[in-house]
Amino acid sequence: MEYYVAIGSIIGIHAMLGLSVYLVAISGQMSFGQQGFFALGAYLAGLSTALWGLHLLPALVLGVVVAAAVGLLVGFPALRVRGLYLAIATFGFGEIVRLAFLNVRYTRRIGDRVVGPNASEGFRHVRYIYDRGITPLEYLGIILLALVVVVILFYFLERSKLGAKLRAVEEDEVAASMIGINVTRVKVFGFTVAAGVAGLAGGLFIHYSSYIDHDMVALPLAIASVTYPIFGGLGSFVGPLLGAVALVGLTESLRTLHGAREFIYGALIILTMLFRPRGIVDEALVLRVKGWLPLRAARRPAPAP
Amino acid sequence: MSTVLLDGTEQLINGLMYGCFYALIGGGFTLLFGVLRRFNLAYGSTIMAGAYAGLIPVYLFNAPVLVLFVTTIVVSVLVGLLVEFCCFRFLRKGHELAPLMTTIGMLIVIDETIVYLTDAVGLKYPAPFGDESLALGPFLIRPDYLAILVVSVVSFSAIFYLLYRTRFGRAMRAVAERPDAAQILGVSVRHVNVLTFVLTSALAGIIGFFAAVSVGSARPEMAAWLTGKGLVVMVLGGLGSFPGAIVGGLALGVLEFEAVWFLGSSYRDILAFAILFLVLIVRPGGLLGTRTA
Repeated sequence: MEYYVAIGSIIGIHAMLGLSVYLVAISGQMSFGQQGFFALGAYLAGLSTALWGLHLLPALVLGVVVAAAVGLLVGFPALRVRGLYLAIATFGFGEIVRLAFLNVRYTRRIGDRVVGPNASEGFRHVRYIYDRGITPLEYLGIILLALVVVVILFYFLERSKLGAKLRAVEEDEVAASMIGINVTRVKVFGFTVAAGVAGLAGGLFIHYSSYIDHDMVALPLAIASVTYPIFGGLGSFVGPLLGAVALVGLTESLRTLHGAREFIYGALIILTMLFRPRGIVDEALVLRVKGWLPLRAARRPAPAP
Repeated sequence: MSTVLLDGTEQLINGLMYGCFYALIGGGFTLLFGVLRRFNLAYGSTIMAGAYAGLIPVYLFNAPVLVLFVTTIVVSVLVGLLVEFCCFRFLRKGHELAPLMTTIGMLIVIDETIVYLTDAVGLKYPAPFGDESLALGPFLIRPDYLAILVVSVVSFSAIFYLLYRTRFGRAMRAVAERPDAAQILGVSVRHVNVLTFVLTSALAGIIGFFAAVSVGSARPEMAAWLTGKGLVVMVLGGLGSFPGAIVGGLALGVLEFEAVWFLGSSYRDILAFAILFLVLIVRPGGLLGTRTA
């Protein structure tokens, strides 16, 4: 049971990271730096509960706000470049954050423990959920609740005018600007919200695992977060959710296979891309599914008499 | 000469020599990117696979370093061809992200195979150039860095000759410029792609050899480290510009060595990425790039 609770928590947190990359991706950009916002959210939320004695909710909110604010600051200059340049620029940002935390020391002795970011030792002893007697199952509930909130946000975002603008920018930036869309503003908006979502994932993660260090927010996390939406599909927010569930679930269920596990993981990604280059839930699939829904059919205009 | 100036100059020389190594990595990434317009994230793993494979004859037969060097190159080429076959050949056209993902898949496959076979332990690499520093006037120079300098100059000359003086080079540049137009004029794009993979993978073998020699061991962390440096150099120089990769590599080498000497090693990587970020924003096309992002 504990095992499944742990997997569920990891899936919830990684799904948020996947959604974060997805939101950048639907405006046609690719970010390899969401782990930087994840780290910012984790450190801020961890500091808030462990050192400043805040309640979990304001701590998470603080993490989200700081991550989003940094996203806004980074997004303005960074989104001047696109494509591979942006991927590499954002990866550079992620590495800067990681290396900064590798050097930051801000600790206090609480009881017999040294709490706080401690350079290469990482940030240990974030014991909020243990001290409050929150069980892992209850904490899984908190993670899933947060995920549901994010998914509802995405659901409405996709159906809103703003969502349409993001898609329009992906399709053709010039055409989008011709019909009066402020391309930069739309892209920076998407990037900022995405940074906030990654920060939320980070804040939830540090309270789940009770510690974080710079190794946990390096290139492998960047690759994982990018893999979920591209594997799962960029047609709808269901894609990254599916990607996170499928890939984390796969990794866990193959745990007994040792060496072969990662091999199958890698081979599966290659095969999926060969047959479905835009992921499993691509735009074509989304349109087809929408066609099946009776709700959609009812809204179709009545045939002309 | 004051000590600061003296130290600064010594680090400049070291930086330039090590920068040649960065230029080799960046050059490999750049050639692939220039021709394919795609990004091969498995390149670092190709390099690592070669470096590990080179150790097999050494451990089995106690083979000399030359055999190690040749094995490294041969295995890198084979792995490169595997990457081309699995990740690029059958991919449908017009999807930017798919090749990124397939090479990530390949990266995972290669890295994990190596980790599985070696239990993630670093393997000792022979030191063919000794570890005695050479004195050049007042400066001390590492012999393996000197070897890197010589081999890079030879490799770059060979690549420049190939690119600008041979039929294949012309075909490569034609495909890099306009693949469809080149195809119409009778250049086999697939042929050029495969040969580009052979060329860059042979380069990967050379890189792998020196990467392992300069730290004294082959380690699984190599791949990520090489990929990071390769990307930084490629972007600094301008995507797809081969001379740009050389300039970018030298610049990064000098910068890192001076930073380590004057600021301490913890600032080395931060500085590299900060510069990368700034260059991207101020000059999105890279130092020598002409294409805008």
